[in-house]
Amino acid sequence: MSAASGSSSVRLPDFARTTTFGSTLAIASAFVLCTVLLFGFVYWQTAAYLTSSIDALITGELQIFAAEPPERWLAHINERLDNDPRRIRIAGLFGADGHRIAGNLESLPGGLTPDVPADAVVVRVDNQGRETEKVRLATERLPDGEVLAIGRNNDEIAGIANIVRRALMLGLLPAFGLAVVIGLVLSLRARNRLLEVNRRIQRIVAGDLRERLPTRKGNDPFDQLAVSVNRVLGEIEALIQEIAGVGNDIAHDLRTPLTRVRVRLERGRARATTLDELRGVVDQSIAGLDQSLTVITALLRIAEIEHSRRLEGFSQVELAPLVREVGELYEPIAEDKHVSLQVEAADEATVQGDRDLLFEAVANLVDNAVKFTPKGGRVGLALLRRNGESVVRISDTGPGIPEIEREAVTKRFYRSDKSRNTEGLGLGLSLVGAIVKLHGLRFTIADGPGCTAEIAFPQVN
Amino acid sequence: MLSAHDGWKNNSPGDGESDGRRLPAPDAVGNETAALAAENEPMPRLLLIEDDKETADEIRAELGDRGFDVSWAADGIEGLDKARSGGADAMIVDRLLPGMDGLTVIETLRGEGIRTPVLVLSALGAVDERVRGLRSGGDDYLTKPFATVELVARIEALLRRPAESPDTVLRVGPLELDLIKRTAKRGERTIELLPREFRLLEYMMCRKDQMLTRAMLLEEVWNYKFVPQTNLVDVHMGRLRHKVDEPNELPMITNVRGVGFILRAPA
Repeated sequence: MSAASGSSSVRLPDFARTTTFGSTLAIASAFVLCTVLLFGFVYWQTAAYLTSSIDALITGELQIFAAEPPERWLAHINERLDNDPRRIRIAGLFGADGHRIAGNLESLPGGLTPDVPADAVVVRVDNQGRETEKVRLATERLPDGEVLAIGRNNDEIAGIANIVRRALMLGLLPAFGLAVVIGLVLSLRARNRLLEVNRRIQRIVAGDLRERLPTRKGNDPFDQLAVSVNRVLGEIEALIQEIAGVGNDIAHDLRTPLTRVRVRLERGRARATTLDELRGVVDQSIAGLDQSLTVITALLRIAEIEHSRRLEGFSQVELAPLVREVGELYEPIAEDKHVSLQVEAADEATVQGDRDLLFEAVANLVDNAVKFTPKGGRVGLALLRRNGESVVRISDTGPGIPEIEREAVTKRFYRSDKSRNTEGLGLGLSLVGAIVKLHGLRFTIADGPGCTAEIAFPQVN
Repeated sequence: MLSAHDGWKNNSPGDGESDGRRLPAPDAVGNETAALAAENEPMPRLLLIEDDKETADEIRAELGDRGFDVSWAADGIEGLDKARSGGADAMIVDRLLPGMDGLTVIETLRGEGIRTPVLVLSALGAVDERVRGLRSGGDDYLTKPFATVELVARIEALLRRPAESPDTVLRVGPLELDLIKRTAKRGERTIELLPREFRLLEYMMCRKDQMLTRAMLLEEVWNYKFVPQTNLVDVHMGRLRHKVDEPNELPMITNVRGVGFILRAPA
């Protein structure tokens, strides 16, 4: 210990360096200090009280003595001393020159002020021998020059001090020990928990995203923290999976047309016998490549919309002209397909948004509706007001979208767009989803005669 | 010049619904080039700033075949130097370049008062990039990869940009468009046009004899920033053509299959 004391490299055990243990020690020390002060105060008060009682007693006796005639003194002293089974009384009569006349006090201690009780160390002599003891003593000079000393043993006070000290020891040491033990246990527990958390975090950092922080049933702040962190981890895991899903979707969307192109080119190279045949193959291949490029363009577009912070670029958009414009744009296409397109734009709503994007969303839905509605069918494009919301509704008499896929296309567009597997549906609905999400609108697909898609604009003016 | 376009494979009027985007047959392209050269016009000079040598070689070869004199710069700084020394009728600038970004090149040139028309090429995303490209001073924007005919059509459009004309009546052959009265006539016959058809015809008459691709029409006439899945342009163009070219008249609007449309006076 002495060798290490000068060095700063003293290593405490791990638990002793934890914050919990440190605070436990500090609290325990404060507790000890308070207890010592309290006991000290009790001792001091008790001692003062006892001393003042003794002082009252001995001054009282002095006065009684002084009131008696001198010839009674000796008898009185002896009587007093005889009548003292606990041997606590001190009395002595001394001549003017200081020699002892009577009593059990061997000599008069110096430095005493007459009539003022004080602590003194005296030598008691009686039939049991001679011993030194601590007493409370008062003296009085008598009229003829003799000195009377009356005292009382004050061992009681020392006894009380002893009792207090013992009580202190008995109570304090176990309490302090207990505090240290509890601190130790708590800090060990906290340390183990932190170690466990740290271990798991290391695993998460290493790439295991399914790992979570340990939680207990309790609701302490530590648990709350762990629950929050776990929630964050869950979000991150979902996002990472989403990215992986997006990657898979892109791979699928691109590989399918590219595979067709590759097969076509291989077959063409092996089988084509004339230049025209070869050109036909190349033309088909270019069309296939264009299809892949369209997919890339659409994906980039979706990403662009999803990540844009266009809100500051939003302006007031009148919905009715927008809807009429889309209708005008698709009217000839519907007519060519022998599908009737009915446009109703009665509501005069103005919304906050990006006109081009909103146009694109509505146009995409109408595009889909016209495309999937068979000859002789109907497509309706309507702007209406319902429950304080403006709703753009596109309904058709086509085959509709199956319930399961409907969920998929309305929920998480980019990721689980199962509709992409539906031939020809393309990424249009994903685009609509991204635009709707950017504007904070509500998009629903429901059953109609065929399919009914609605974009609901809340908070319209 | 007109004969040059006879090389484009013409389709019958009923052929408006194109089944997909296809390149015109190479012989058609070759004819046009030959015709251009034969007319002995000065070859339009282009400056291509593109860092990928292979792409640059392809573009130069292709444009060279079509009668353009293309010089090439491999990075932004070299490109800026060549552009400053002048001589180019139009420039093709790649968006991402080593040394100096393509947009910075354009901004610098515009800052120096050089107004050579610029076509920005980019492999970057769709709409926002396009807006950025045009805002920095580019005149047109084309996303990689692109069909060669699209590139050629856009460059020709840049080279032959219609001058700001004070005329309020446009005329192409027998076709007459009054921009004030909003009326259209072919000879003595009045043509009833919907607003969008009017705008489409106006755009085409300003660019007579030019190949206008579907993408160009979508961007310029419909002001679309996206590619619709349906053949919107073909259907609308089919309507317009139906009104402009009646069965007994010589066709003025030609659909070049898989490429786009040309309006010209009947031969």
